[in-house]
Amino acid sequence: MESLTTIRPELLTLSSEQFSALMPYFWVFGATVLAILAAVMRSLSPKWPVITVVLTGLVGAIVSVAGLLGKEPVALFNGMMVSDNYTHFFSLIFLISGVVTVFASIRYLDNEAMQHPEYYLLVLFSALGMMLMASSLNLIVIFIALELMSLAVYILVGYRRTDRRSNEAAVKYFVLGSGASAVLLYGAALLYGSTGSIGIRGILDFVRANPAALSPTFTLGAWLVIIGFLFKVAAVPFHMWMPDVYEGAPTPVTGFMATGLKAAAFAAFLRVFVSTGYGAGLTTAIQTHLHDILWMSAVLTMLFGNLVALTQTNLKRMLAYSSIAHTGYLLVGMIAGPHSEQGYAPLMTYLVAYAVMNLGAFVVLSILATRDDGGLNLHDFSGLSRRHPWLAFAMAVFLFSLAGIPPTAGFAAKYILFYSAVQANEILLVVISVLCSAISVYYYLRVLVYMYMRDPVGTQTRSPVSVWSAIAVAAMVAATLQIGVMPARVVYAAKKAITSI
Amino acid sequence: MNQVEPWVVLSFSSIIFMIGFTGILIRKNILVILMCIELMLNAVNLTFVTYSTLLQDMAGQMSVFFIITVAAAESAVGLALVIAMFRTLRSVSTEEIQLLRE
Repeated sequence: MESLTTIRPELLTLSSEQFSALMPYFWVFGATVLAILAAVMRSLSPKWPVITVVLTGLVGAIVSVAGLLGKEPVALFNGMMVSDNYTHFFSLIFLISGVVTVFASIRYLDNEAMQHPEYYLLVLFSALGMMLMASSLNLIVIFIALELMSLAVYILVGYRRTDRRSNEAAVKYFVLGSGASAVLLYGAALLYGSTGSIGIRGILDFVRANPAALSPTFTLGAWLVIIGFLFKVAAVPFHMWMPDVYEGAPTPVTGFMATGLKAAAFAAFLRVFVSTGYGAGLTTAIQTHLHDILWMSAVLTMLFGNLVALTQTNLKRMLAYSSIAHTGYLLVGMIAGPHSEQGYAPLMTYLVAYAVMNLGAFVVLSILATRDDGGLNLHDFSGLSRRHPWLAFAMAVFLFSLAGIPPTAGFAAKYILFYSAVQANEILLVVISVLCSAISVYYYLRVLVYMYMRDPVGTQTRSPVSVWSAIAVAAMVAATLQIGVMPARVVYAAKKAITSI
Repeated sequence: MNQVEPWVVLSFSSIIFMIGFTGILIRKNILVILMCIELMLNAVNLTFVTYSTLLQDMAGQMSVFFIITVAAAESAVGLALVIAMFRTLRSVSTEEIQLLRE
């Protein structure tokens, strides 16, 4: 403990590279502070000033992340955080999903008569937590980032506080989510105890140095951390919270959770996973163990998600189960990663494609949702193509993409992902995945049948489309088709990102 | 002077953690469940300080401060959510949470 008596001066200052590497975080954090001030100022109505500040913060962060792309990794805060291409890649996903969520929420909150400035603040806080999660190299920092992200989302889920479903979903999510965080943290404590380091690089060094001397404490700690992450990404058997939470949350928040939260959980999971030596340093016994468990989990996740989604009549709930199924595909990428030449790049490409198409689908749902999140059942969609030809078209693009039909992002990403799994010699896994996505075509295209081939039921009014939501939907359609036709750029970015870890 | 063996403290904290975890699974009152979450986090704190002493390393003790802070924020949010739920549900029992079932 002597090292504490001398203060290393380089830890107290920021070099200019470190400062510019921290700029995205400054943008988001500065925007939260300013937005809080704007929200409490009585003289002006809080809606537009807060939205302006929040969007400025998010867009400023996107611009500064874009400026950092391709630069050398910068270690921050004594190696507790790092700013590398991997961080930037994920930061862009989080920030863009934040912007889209804000766009989708403006009219939605007006409809719900719940236009409060806190909402946008919480989205921003959560985005900040996600960005920290993708950049942290320390299990404690990961935990703090995870909590920053989750606490904001717990509140967002319970945002419609006069609605019983929203309250129940929030409490359920809170209890299970913080339980899982505590499990993850206990795992971190055990890893710290058995390796003497809380940073994931230090843990990896320990594992590399003593591959044979891994104690039961280490194994238990690693399992607890993995269980914590599997919970956060909602893989079977830790998925039970997800459909309820997705259904109870306000629709734009559901979209944010399905994309940002899942991407953040995968970002940290992958970093810990790679760093604790999967495919690198662990003894083979643990490797096969981990492989088998992930394999089982992936198969069960895909089967469960797709089969239960078949029976759903509420679109939000259906997309929740389909999101579980997509977690399964992502786990396939995780299993294949160390053994294929593309590494984890297909997994990250899939995350981008998944984020784009899912965000788009949820923006469409937020436009169509009536008061108290009604009007999202299948029969409410009948004849949608006549009321809203453009929205129906956009929804069709997203559904085709989710089902994995060319020329959309979903197809390209799935193709690359399954191809890497074939390279990794996981033929059975690929067969199961392909069969599962064949199942999924049924429930995605059923929505299409309702939209285009059924007559409208009852008196359905045309819900007004705000210009913000329209921009968000159009951008997501463009991105879905663009990635679908030319996936190479995303794959290239993902490859560069994953090699920088 | 008698010193407490580290393994005693570690087993103690693992038992507290298990009590918290089991509590989340079996208790019906949400306030008790919140206490169980705190119990789990504090068991982790105890584990961290024990290892910190064992390894003669400061990082474990630093972590505890952060965990305490996060735990405080967590219980604030949790209690707020429980109050919001109580207003619409008039109950804090998990048995009443049944609107969102398949």
